[in-house]
Amino acid sequence: MGFFDTLARWLGMKKKEVNVICVGLDNSGKTTIINKLKPQNAQQSDIVPTIGFTVEKFASASLSFTVFDMSGQGRYRNLWEHYYKDAQAIIFVIDSSDKLRMVVAKDELEQLLNNQDILSKRIPILFYANKMDMKESLSAVKVSQMMGLEAIKDKPWHICASNAITGEGLPEGVEWVTDQIRSMKK
Amino acid sequence: MLGLRRDKKDEEDGFSLNPFNNLEKTSVLQEARTFNETPINPRKCCHILTKVLYLINQGEHIATTEATETFFAMTKLFQSQDVTLRRMVYLTIKEMADLAEDVIIVTSSLTKDMTGKEDMYRAAAIRALCRITDSTMLQSIERYMKQAIVDRNPSVSSAALTSSLHLMRSSGDVVKRWVNEAAEAASSDNIMVQYHAIGVLYHIKKTDRLGVSKLVSKFTKQSLRSPYAYCLLIRIATKLLEEESEGRDSPLFDFIETCLRHKSELVIYEAAHAIVNMPNTSARELAPAISVLQLFCSSPKPTLRFAAVRTLNKVAMKHPAAVAACNLDLENLITDVNRSIATLAITTLLKTGSESSVDRLMKQISTFMSEISDEFKIVVVQAIRSLCLKFPRKHGVLMNFLASMLRDENSSNSSQGGFDYKRAIVDSLIGIIEENPDAKEAGLAHLCEFIEDCEHTVLATRILHLLGREGPRTPSPSKYIRFIYNRVILENSAVRAAAVSALAKFGAHCEELMPSVVVLLSRSLLDTDDEVRDRATFYLNVLKQGNKALNSAYILNGLNVSVVGLERALHSYTLEPSETQFDMKSVPLATQPLAEQKTAEVTPAAKAPDKVAATRQDIYAEQLAAIPEFQGLGPLFKSSAAVQLTESETEYVVRCIKHTFTNHIVFQFDCTNTLNDQILENVTVQMEPTEGFEVLSYVPAASLPYGQPGITYTCVALPEDDPTSVIGTFSNTLKFLVKDCDPNTGEPDEEGYEDEYVLEDVEVTISDHIQKVLKPNFAASWDEVGEDYQMEDTYALSTVKTLEDAVKNIVDHMGMQPCERSDKVPADKSAHTLFLAGVYRGGHDVLVRARLAVDDGVTMQITVRSTDETAAEVISASVG
Repeated sequence: MGFFDTLARWLGMKKKEVNVICVGLDNSGKTTIINKLKPQNAQQSDIVPTIGFTVEKFASASLSFTVFDMSGQGRYRNLWEHYYKDAQAIIFVIDSSDKLRMVVAKDELEQLLNNQDILSKRIPILFYANKMDMKESLSAVKVSQMMGLEAIKDKPWHICASNAITGEGLPEGVEWVTDQIRSMKK
Repeated sequence: MLGLRRDKKDEEDGFSLNPFNNLEKTSVLQEARTFNETPINPRKCCHILTKVLYLINQGEHIATTEATETFFAMTKLFQSQDVTLRRMVYLTIKEMADLAEDVIIVTSSLTKDMTGKEDMYRAAAIRALCRITDSTMLQSIERYMKQAIVDRNPSVSSAALTSSLHLMRSSGDVVKRWVNEAAEAASSDNIMVQYHAIGVLYHIKKTDRLGVSKLVSKFTKQSLRSPYAYCLLIRIATKLLEEESEGRDSPLFDFIETCLRHKSELVIYEAAHAIVNMPNTSARELAPAISVLQLFCSSPKPTLRFAAVRTLNKVAMKHPAAVAACNLDLENLITDVNRSIATLAITTLLKTGSESSVDRLMKQISTFMSEISDEFKIVVVQAIRSLCLKFPRKHGVLMNFLASMLRDENSSNSSQGGFDYKRAIVDSLIGIIEENPDAKEAGLAHLCEFIEDCEHTVLATRILHLLGREGPRTPSPSKYIRFIYNRVILENSAVRAAAVSALAKFGAHCEELMPSVVVLLSRSLLDTDDEVRDRATFYLNVLKQGNKALNSAYILNGLNVSVVGLERALHSYTLEPSETQFDMKSVPLATQPLAEQKTAEVTPAAKAPDKVAATRQDIYAEQLAAIPEFQGLGPLFKSSAAVQLTESETEYVVRCIKHTFTNHIVFQFDCTNTLNDQILENVTVQMEPTEGFEVLSYVPAASLPYGQPGITYTCVALPEDDPTSVIGTFSNTLKFLVKDCDPNTGEPDEEGYEDEYVLEDVEVTISDHIQKVLKPNFAASWDEVGEDYQMEDTYALSTVKTLEDAVKNIVDHMGMQPCERSDKVPADKSAHTLFLAGVYRGGHDVLVRARLAVDDGVTMQITVRSTDETAAEVISASVG
């Protein structure tokens, strides 16, 4: 980190960069969320299932995010772990209308938390209880109960209901992550 | 200053020029962990990727786990927007696609790049994507590929089309669905896109002949922009013409001909090349193509001159008259500054020129022989060889030239390989000696001189063998002794051994040289090498016996058994010790590769299968020995070539191979079932023999599913009471149990029914009872066998008119080996003697001398000698 970088950041011209990994089951809306967070002109009109992963960038008020948007399909989930190491925050997307597979999501979350690279670190986890507009969707509180989020003691976490299509609830989550990362640096 | 000097020294030594020299795999892979760091340093990462690529391309083995770890670390580089780094990443993905696991992880990242706005990424991303995609994943990127094929950016479209070609191999069905997009791309304005699109279209329709001809006719009508596309169309059209063997009035040929007037030189050359290489072209059709090539010969562009003269050189033998029309232009090219062009021009002229121009051309070519590369020297040597066959009278000039080529090579830089070149010269010299008896002495003299200073053991031993064979029969054999004995003194052990054998042959053949040869050989008795000593001792003892029969059997004519067979026989003999002595006659004889090569010279196409045939019999022997029914038959004597008993497109295809044993013949039937809705079971071939023969047993093929060849055997005993009746005709019927089955699953029905199928007859001829054997020294063997069982008879062959035909007929009929090159009839002679040698069933030597004289018809006096009375009778009886 050169002198000019420091200077630029101090003057607020250049934002600090953070790496975030976005995971969750297939069809939970990860790519749609990331797409919505991007600047208006960079957004894509149609979203297709991700194979493997894609790298996306977006910015909040004070941070520049680099997101590894992972594929949620069953056979690619074991590839997530390759990207845990340098993640500074995790976004876990849950389809709050899919009660049936909530246990699968819970299972994946447990595996994630027990991974060597995650276990030792105190990194913030943001949960999006997505698809809140659906009729049969559960509330954020209900989702956190079903996922057993209260059990997470050693890491800061936050859950917020969201609608990725309209963008409702997304800024709240990003703000929380930003605060967490900034407070950690201090 | 010091460092500078060291650098210079290193440079001279060839070290340290390459910064990647001495890269350690482990340290590079360690470095690859830098990829995980943030922020990314593009320059550093590029350098590491280069190292990884270098290692992979040097053939360094990277284990799957290591490769996967590096690959996943590399995927993190996608977060950098550096253009150079991204393109390095694409390269590395392509290289590691087969090394690492789960490479599909980058699929979405690549699809994003290929549909993105950055043109620098798009084409490269497509290529990388297609490399990591297998047939199961292809569905998910199909939509993007279709879009990319019709993309407005030519580099993207080309990349998608070429990638489709690669994907065709693994998942042709999916690619076939892109035919509309490819057709759209074919009308692109960009020359490369058009070329690639037509390539893809052709490969999609490759298996459908009608589709291909429609494709060609469609594109030949509209005018294409791309000269490459034209070249491709010409090639496709040529292939179609070849397959359909249509006449020259077809529109395809017209198309190729109109291409001769295209504005691009590339297309013109391709068309001319295609026409010139077509089979059976008439002079009128050739003329425009040749004149185009002629025009190219005087082009200022060296590439065009080279292409033209090379094409002319290739077809000079096929169309000498047409190529001769260009002689004037070729003459001009002799002095071309480009030596490759000059060489090809001269050799072409040599092929087409007349006898009178040979001397002049040879002089011309010798002026720059030292300046051209070995590859072209070989072209020259081959041209000289064919010239020698064409003008036998010129052999003096040509052989002197070859010899001086050998000499120059020896004196100048003998250390620098040139083995292929020397071998080509030696092959040519030997070839000339064998074809042309007049050239023998001069040729042997040249070869003798060559081995005086020859560092290639292979060539030296070969020449020594030739000297041993041909030398004793020259008017003054003694002059070769000195050359051979020099080898005994000076060379390495392999050459010494060969020289000892050659010496012994002189001793055995020429009585007046015997005493001196014995003296020379006895000097080798104390040689340091075992092989040389053994050979010398053996030959010395044989020679001292002074027995002609022994000389002939052990020195002049070598072993005729198959080496593999001998090894197997000796092995089984040592495994089961018995009182009886090892019998040489029980060893299968070697099939004659030498004779086959000679026929192969006439028809190059026959060469490949013949090579296989040399070991074929050993394979059959092993297969037959594994069948319990045939245990008691003794060793396999001869296996015939396969004979088709059905048309090639019938329901069941059967071919027959005759295996001759001492008292039996086993017929092997290779059957193929070409009906996919039937399974045949219990398949046998019922044989109706002529009188005297007796069918002993059948070995059925248990099951014959669709498309898989099966084998059934029939064993027949030869007539015992009358050993001379060995010829017969057998009528055959294929018998089997048919079960219908589902063509898709291959599941047969329970019930089946008996059926039969009539096959063509099989004939057992005299040649099935005789194995070809080459006697290098026929006269010695003739005396060795003696007059005990001699048959003599005279016949008038009314049907044949020339000596060549007579010789050919006799050789075919007898199935024996012509010796002493007596199968070649010298021109303008009215009489000829043919020598044939073989071994009759049971291991009896048979020799035939046929004196032929031509007057009106051909008269033949045939003399048969054998070590066995029956054999002689059978053979002389078979002639009538």
